[in-house]
Amino acid sequence: MPSASERLLTPTRAAGGVALLAFAAVALAYPSIAPNPYLLSVGIVVLNYAVLSTSWNFVGGFTGYISLGHGALAGLGAYGTGLLVTKAGLPSFVALAAAAVMVAVLAVPLGYAALRVRGASFVIVSIALVLVTLLVFQSWASFTGGSRGLNVPRPFPGLLRPEHHRVFFYLFLALLAVALLVWWLIDRSRFGLGLKAIREDEDKAEALGTPTFAYKLVVFVVSAFFTGLAGGLYALWFGDLDPIFQFSILTGSYMVLMALLGGVRNLFGPLVGALLVGSALEYFKVEFGNTPLHLVATGVLLALVVLFMPDGVLPALGALFRRFSPTTDSSIREVTAAELAAQRTGGDLHAQSRNG
Amino acid sequence: MASEIELLDVQAGYGRAAPVLRGLTVEVPAGTIVCLVGPNGAGKSTVLKVASGLLAPRSGTIRVGGVEVTGQGPQRMLASGVAHVLQGHSVFAEMTVAENVLLGAYTIKDKARVAARTEFVRDLFPVVAERWDTLAGLLSGGQQKQVEFARSLMVDPKVVLLDEPSMGLDPKATSTVFEQVVRMRDAGTAVLLVEQNARRALETADIGCVLDLGRVHISGPAADLLADPQLADLYLGGRPAEPRP
Repeated sequence: MPSASERLLTPTRAAGGVALLAFAAVALAYPSIAPNPYLLSVGIVVLNYAVLSTSWNFVGGFTGYISLGHGALAGLGAYGTGLLVTKAGLPSFVALAAAAVMVAVLAVPLGYAALRVRGASFVIVSIALVLVTLLVFQSWASFTGGSRGLNVPRPFPGLLRPEHHRVFFYLFLALLAVALLVWWLIDRSRFGLGLKAIREDEDKAEALGTPTFAYKLVVFVVSAFFTGLAGGLYALWFGDLDPIFQFSILTGSYMVLMALLGGVRNLFGPLVGALLVGSALEYFKVEFGNTPLHLVATGVLLALVVLFMPDGVLPALGALFRRFSPTTDSSIREVTAAELAAQRTGGDLHAQSRNG
Repeated sequence: MASEIELLDVQAGYGRAAPVLRGLTVEVPAGTIVCLVGPNGAGKSTVLKVASGLLAPRSGTIRVGGVEVTGQGPQRMLASGVAHVLQGHSVFAEMTVAENVLLGAYTIKDKARVAARTEFVRDLFPVVAERWDTLAGLLSGGQQKQVEFARSLMVDPKVVLLDEPSMGLDPKATSTVFEQVVRMRDAGTAVLLVEQNARRALETADIGCVLDLGRVHISGPAADLLADPQLADLYLGGRPAEPRP
């Protein structure tokens, strides 16, 4: 078995570590180097996408279940936070935590119903969730504000807009770090092993003793919790909620696109996808205004990813990097136990058999 | 010699169709390889499905280690000590060899026991140890089959059911796989083997059983069956003689 140091010091891992440190340094410095408050707010939007997409990736990345309904969970987190502040009078961040817990609790019956079906059926059920929540929050105007929207008071009323952005940039960054840490911990756990087996072949995983339904439900609830937190934090930052935008099918679609673009099996895949797609979306909105051009660009991007990088940007970069690295292990030649034993003891039985 | 698994007078089939197994009786003694051979449609794979709990028998009795387990599902059968290596390749292709092997021990909570079994299978299957961190889907067919063997042994089963382990493999890979089947037996695990490559399987097995129309027509020491002209007739399209008393 290779030693821990050998496994840690591969060129690909080293390059990944350098890239991570560079991202962390730029992210921490960004509020100070952003040229204006608008670009700082773009940074917050991108980070929000990164948290949402990473949250989605708890379900999509680990189990392979494609949910287009996570926009509804984000919307519930946002409206839950807003309503707990405005109607129940809770302090902003208490409301945020309470709303995220409520979304997680609500995810139990939702997951119990939705995760009984697989493939296209699960996708359709998840879309239905978005449509139902949109209808409820639009129609129940006396409680939610309906199409008039819901104003959420700022948690830091004394701060000017740039400082407000700066604080929320770091809050989103911290939330992203926590979500990534939890994903990383699950990835290395026995729980994560079972989830990945579900992604590969659910029936086979079950036959090996993995409690597949329970695992899917637990990770769906974890995903809902982080999605609710991201939605709630957005509500506290943006301060104005509209059901059309909060319960949009596009939100869930963006989460899927970002995760797929970056690489759903990679810890940082959704983050990379969010950096690319989030920045591109903002660029198209600035350059071309309120046109559907950004949707066309999104569709083209998705097609390009599927055609040329089906596993995402990070796996494609990793493969490219390995092509220029020294080969360590590529043979799939059939080797008998006797040959391997001979190789291990310094003999060369294989060569002898070929020569003899 | 005590039997690790016994299927006694088993009838089984799919849906409402006629039964595939019609009063089949097979026993796998401890420390032996029992090989089932027979023409297509004889019910060889169905025997393994019944033995692993994937298919419930319509009648008959199944015992593992002397304990009756008739009608139990696959997870309970696994816990009882019956591991099933399916036909074709059933590794998790996008997971590493290590992850594939550790999934075999998913029902074991004791970390020390998992570590001990891991070392055991790594020693038993050198290819598995060599390719430990490689994605299983990148291995050759024969290597993938050995990963499946290693995974099945993680729970320290009483008996392993092998369904057509040489399917789709070239001659060299087939030799390696049969070599590993013998190593499994020598390491203390009984094996119930279903195989189309009858001659090679009987050369490997201790006991052979010839199936036709859902029951055992001939059984005995594998070496004796290899020398039996009736067996050759069977694979030339003929039918075996009436069941021996």
